[in-house]
Amino acid sequence: MIEEKLSRRSFLAFSGASIVGGALPSKAAAKQITDLLNPASPIMLPANFSPSLWFTMESNGRTNVHIFKAEIGQHVGTALAQIVAEQLCLDWSNVSIDYPEMDHNTFVKYGGQITGGSYSVHEMYGKLSKQAAFARQLLIEAGADLMGSEFEDCLADQGHVKDTLYETDISYSEILSELVLDYTITADDLAEAQEIDRSNFKIIGKPVKALDIPEKTNGAARFGIDAYLPNMVYAKLVLPPTRFGSTIDTIDQDSAMTMPGFLAAVPLSFPPEAKSQGFITDVVAVVADSFPNALRAAKATNVSWNTDPNYLLSTGDLFENAEKQLLNEDGTDFYKIGEFDNVKSKIELEATYRTGFVAHSPMEPASALCHYIDGKLHVYAGVQGGPLLPFILSQFTGLSPDKILVYPHLIGGGFGKRFEVEPIVISAILALNLNKPVKTIFTREDEFLLSHPRSLAVQKISAKSKEDGEILGLKHEISCGWIAFNDFGLVNPVENGSPVSALPDVQLFSATGSDNWYDFPNQSVKMHRNKQIEEMTGNRAVRSVANNYTIFALESFIDEFAHFKNVDPVDLRLSMLKGMRMNSGENADSLFTKGIAPYVNVSKDAYQSSIDGGRRLANVLRTAAGLANYGGLLADGVAQGVAIAGAEERTNPSFSACVADVEVNAEARFFDVKKLTVVIDLGLIVNPDGALAQVEGSVLWGLSNGLYEELTYANGKVEQTNFDTYKWQTIVGTPEINIKLLENSNYPSGAGEPATSIVAPAICNAIFAASNVRLRELPITRERFASAVSEVLSE
Amino acid sequence: MAKLSVNGKAYFVNDEPDTPLLWVLREALQLTGTKFGCGGGHCGCCTVHINGEAMRSCRVRLGDVEGAIITTIEGLSATSEHPVQKAWVELQVPQCGYCHSGQIMQAAAFLTENINPTDDEIDVAMRGNLCRCMTYIRVRKAVKLAAEIKSGGKL
Repeated sequence: MIEEKLSRRSFLAFSGASIVGGALPSKAAAKQITDLLNPASPIMLPANFSPSLWFTMESNGRTNVHIFKAEIGQHVGTALAQIVAEQLCLDWSNVSIDYPEMDHNTFVKYGGQITGGSYSVHEMYGKLSKQAAFARQLLIEAGADLMGSEFEDCLADQGHVKDTLYETDISYSEILSELVLDYTITADDLAEAQEIDRSNFKIIGKPVKALDIPEKTNGAARFGIDAYLPNMVYAKLVLPPTRFGSTIDTIDQDSAMTMPGFLAAVPLSFPPEAKSQGFITDVVAVVADSFPNALRAAKATNVSWNTDPNYLLSTGDLFENAEKQLLNEDGTDFYKIGEFDNVKSKIELEATYRTGFVAHSPMEPASALCHYIDGKLHVYAGVQGGPLLPFILSQFTGLSPDKILVYPHLIGGGFGKRFEVEPIVISAILALNLNKPVKTIFTREDEFLLSHPRSLAVQKISAKSKEDGEILGLKHEISCGWIAFNDFGLVNPVENGSPVSALPDVQLFSATGSDNWYDFPNQSVKMHRNKQIEEMTGNRAVRSVANNYTIFALESFIDEFAHFKNVDPVDLRLSMLKGMRMNSGENADSLFTKGIAPYVNVSKDAYQSSIDGGRRLANVLRTAAGLANYGGLLADGVAQGVAIAGAEERTNPSFSACVADVEVNAEARFFDVKKLTVVIDLGLIVNPDGALAQVEGSVLWGLSNGLYEELTYANGKVEQTNFDTYKWQTIVGTPEINIKLLENSNYPSGAGEPATSIVAPAICNAIFAASNVRLRELPITRERFASAVSEVLSE
Repeated sequence: MAKLSVNGKAYFVNDEPDTPLLWVLREALQLTGTKFGCGGGHCGCCTVHINGEAMRSCRVRLGDVEGAIITTIEGLSATSEHPVQKAWVELQVPQCGYCHSGQIMQAAAFLTENINPTDDEIDVAMRGNLCRCMTYIRVRKAVKLAAEIKSGGKL
């Protein structure tokens, strides 16, 4: 009997009591007809098999994979479902996904599961793989029992358990119709999970079509902005004259009250602690019965504001102050090897790089629908940190986190913007006060004026070297606003491979990339936290975050150094990518031991992504150089530049290289990016076409950031308010792009961001190779390029 | 009351005549497949067909389209099998998907005028449809594939 057999196996621990009809012949039990109208009738409907938070198997043969990561365009649900389906040995056509509601338990029990840092597959691969593998073992056990077979003779294949000796089989559907598997996998079980070896993979590594794409082509997909409840009302914001630092003085709603559908003009003033580091600012919410009516009423609402003159700064002031900070302050350590100051050589080369603010600017403006009913707050929105939301909203509403439920919606472009919670906080407060479901929608103007941009950065890099060109020490100093999100990302500085808890914490996500993979015997990265930028702009995480400025500065500098020493830039890089000491990546798991969990919970095996980092970087660089015919004959006026990165972090790297072919005609002040060759090492690739799409998007995002994007402030206010003034890449002028994904036996790393940061420096390095014009500021607008050319020509 | 013809159905709506068609579609008609992106005609997310022509519904007022034949993404094909939709799925074009109702409506209208477009012609036709996920490479390929499907060549 089942019980006897189960007790022999340590991993199969479900009790007789949990098997419906344990005392009855199990087949009879499941097929008994249940009279649902009769309360005395035993409920004998087949139960779902739900051994894990992440998937549910139904007796009809379908498996539903539950996706807690936000769908922001990366088709994360498909990739995660592929991992589950592979280890459960499912027929892919029977797999579906959903995005379950979340409550405070989602975070308390299962951790942050935030959607960012290109962490999703990297974080979930090992966990899902083991959970599904163990569940498969349970199914084989149950199937073997039903067939009267020996467990050892059985295997799982295409949603069936097969007895290989007697050539009988039973489907998962039949198994779950016949008996109830009421079991939750424990941490101890996972140690016994026998994962299917990748040589036998049937679903992982296949470019299966994304499960969320059909609904995105026919209008059926429901994004946050599409959330609907009966009788909901709409809020449009009236914004202050500065990004931060303004408070409401008076509200004149006399003419708004005459507008159709007007309901209320609600002042929302937040305490200083809520506003600190730019989380939220005071606004007036004008509520009406439709969004067009809210727009009209908001226009008719006159608000006067009190503005703190300290917040009236402009971009120029912020750059100037950041430059002063680099000059006048020592900064704090982030990453240190040896002692740069003790290197007995003078500083041979030094350069300063400037990068401006970049907006997230997703196509879907921010929105949220909230409803407070029966003592619970229901939130309908797209959010990248869903499991954290009950706790964040608790702080703003006074509700206990267990009274807050989140219903995730698709997100029309994340890029980090949907970690921000303003519309959700505003809708929640309005819903609590107005006793109606309230949907707040940002207009595009609101979206820009309430930007949380990537910080501007001013960076200085200095090198000490031997006569023959070998770099003995590199110092990288960075002034920028730090990303603030509680203690997430606040790590100990790393010195010679070990975290140093005695030194002040440093924001990893504002510094990452500077802790590079080159074998410098002495290296010093100093962070200058620029609180003025944080308070003025609420700067935050924008796709690939700090890499976009650190890699720009570093890879430009390496190129400058190569030309300074008359060495080929690829040769110079390869000479420093031997994977020595730290750059073997062996100690990745010991680097950032605080500040990451519980927001991201990578398991030990995920750190394999860092193994052999230096040499893997060399490999992608060689491959990209080969594919781009680096050093070969090029058309007239065309030159090549390279850049590499191990983004996102040292602990979560995807190694990538870019060769840019750029045509330059300095006399005509003209340049044109002809071709971008990108190679990226992702370790194991779950969905090659999905990964390729992510890298395609990343490369063009990097191009767009590099050539066009610049958010500026004047008198404390964002100057660009729509796409006519905030320019970015369109379909016109997209260069030829050749992307090669390198797959190998390493643990999977992320694809959504890492290739963004290498594009701009590769282009700048190509421009220098073609024209001796060195661009040390992003974006490379036409004007900036023209003035740099004029400077060189006048010398 | 204004009378609208959308996706072959007649609707009577109560909105003010100066209300942008976009919001009438999204709120009064609950046809939320048409997306709000910028409100200024800069991004193309809200593209619909008005008398067969691709138009930005955020810049069209309700009072101007009475009697016009309006088609939204929901009405492009009853079975989601318009050649452009087929091509979009086949080449896995959408990432976040938010702009793609507009991209698809723009491409569908374009292909009624040009059945064999070059890359440059596609760029000109699609240049006003922004995509922040930067799916442009696949958009270009998919418009070409849709043209082939339309002329009976593929799928």
